[in-house]
Amino acid sequence: MFDMALRSLNLPGVGTKYEFETDKGDTVAIFFTKTGAIQMYTLQKGCKTPSAAEMSPVEARRLGNILTGAIIEADQESVEIAFSALADLRITIHTIFVTAAVVGKTIEELQIRAKTGATVIAVCRHDRNIINPPPAFVFEEGDAALVIGESDQIRTFENEIMVK
Amino acid sequence: MEGFIIALFVCMVLALISKYLSVPAIPFYILAGVILGKAGLGIVSSNEITHFFSEMGLIFLLFFMGLELKLERIIADPSKVLVSGLIGLTVDMGIGFISAYLLGFTLMESFIIGAAFYITSTAIVITSLVENRKLMMRETETIIWLMVFEDMVLIIILALLSSGNQNLILFFAKIALALGFMYVIAHYGKEFLISILDRDDELPILFTFAAVLSTASFALFLGIPETLMVIALGAALATTDPDAFEQHARPFKDVFLVLFFVFFGVTIDFSGNLNWTIIAIVCLLAIFSKLVSGMLIGLTIHGSAMSGVEIWTNTISRGEFSIALAVLYGSPLVGATIATMVIVTSIVGSFAAKYSTWMRRGIVSHSRKRALIHRPHTGR
Repeated sequence: MFDMALRSLNLPGVGTKYEFETDKGDTVAIFFTKTGAIQMYTLQKGCKTPSAAEMSPVEARRLGNILTGAIIEADQESVEIAFSALADLRITIHTIFVTAAVVGKTIEELQIRAKTGATVIAVCRHDRNIINPPPAFVFEEGDAALVIGESDQIRTFENEIMVK
Repeated sequence: MEGFIIALFVCMVLALISKYLSVPAIPFYILAGVILGKAGLGIVSSNEITHFFSEMGLIFLLFFMGLELKLERIIADPSKVLVSGLIGLTVDMGIGFISAYLLGFTLMESFIIGAAFYITSTAIVITSLVENRKLMMRETETIIWLMVFEDMVLIIILALLSSGNQNLILFFAKIALALGFMYVIAHYGKEFLISILDRDDELPILFTFAAVLSTASFALFLGIPETLMVIALGAALATTDPDAFEQHARPFKDVFLVLFFVFFGVTIDFSGNLNWTIIAIVCLLAIFSKLVSGMLIGLTIHGSAMSGVEIWTNTISRGEFSIALAVLYGSPLVGATIATMVIVTSIVGSFAAKYSTWMRRGIVSHSRKRALIHRPHTGR
């Protein structure tokens, strides 16, 4: 997976450059500039002039999430982390707004882990984060839950627990 | 003092306009100074306070340059950097020096003009490369290393000019001593320096300011040029945590450097016996000589005249370092010449850098069209 040649280069006064050529011969170059902006260039094989886009760090992270294959919807966002060294282990972290089906119930009551295999690792309530909620934690309306698991487990969680 | 406030306010408005138009602000700051100062309305005059601020601007500019000089930096292809650097040095410095001498400047004045003529504005060049989305071009690396080479030459020029009539052995012994002292502090005090920089109170910024200022005054006390010493301080501190130092020194540099440009403009006197023909010739040659050096570098390094044009359009702008030389060593006549050259080349240069993309695209799409006409079925 990492046999493509990734070149990284420090350009004095400008920042750091990462560049690699794809199997098909296109070139992608990313520059982390000193001003904090991130510029991405793509050069199609056989072309002379690249196309460029400048991104803020937040935008660049979003692009990164999209590229790793995570699903991003308007209000839900997930990050998939792939560990190539561990037999291509893929872990997805997904945010989801609680539905009426779970409001007023505890994590234990819903049997989230037993039924789906996914785990609720944090809940965001009124801009405050509750990390590692205990089994007796009661969901309230407006909560956003952060769930970790494999993508199948996340899907089961969405279909069976957070019934709309 | 009112003049000072007016100057600051004008700069703020100009900075906004230049950012909005995405053109370099340096020529506008100098022009503002010229208009407000001696040569123009005469509202703002230079005095001890403004002189102090300007000096701070110069010192912080050079400190930043030092921070960028990471001595352990790996150069991908040293011979290419050396070849392109030497072409730039001989062509630009040569044309600048010889033409200034032929135009009637003294030998010393010609040397200063030649050096100011040679040194491109790193700030304008790099900002325009980023803003015009040119970082991926293969010429960009060549241009960036050209800037690093020019910085090295500038240090040598500063050392040569500031040695003056002193005993050279004693002079260089003192410099070596001060350099050694700084490197010892940076080396053995590394942990301590980093622990100070990591704090989130006022200490890091206070420390940075004090280190730069005390180095400058220590240099004055020893009788060695403070310009060289602050560059050396930057280079020594770059071995600890250069990013942190940059972050803490940036506010000082940003404010003082603007004042440095404005008050350089204020002191310019266009009323003396200036020969505008001579100044115009210098400006035109400044643009032309970069075409010659750019072409030669493009042909030797990239084997293409198009690359030469690209290098030329991106290296026309002269700026902060040319002005620094004018402020440090220039007579009023040289100052006025360099000021005009910086204003003209930086404005022409910023438009050339922008226009070169369109021009390149035009040529590329033209040749693509031609290719399509010749082989209509192979095109996309």
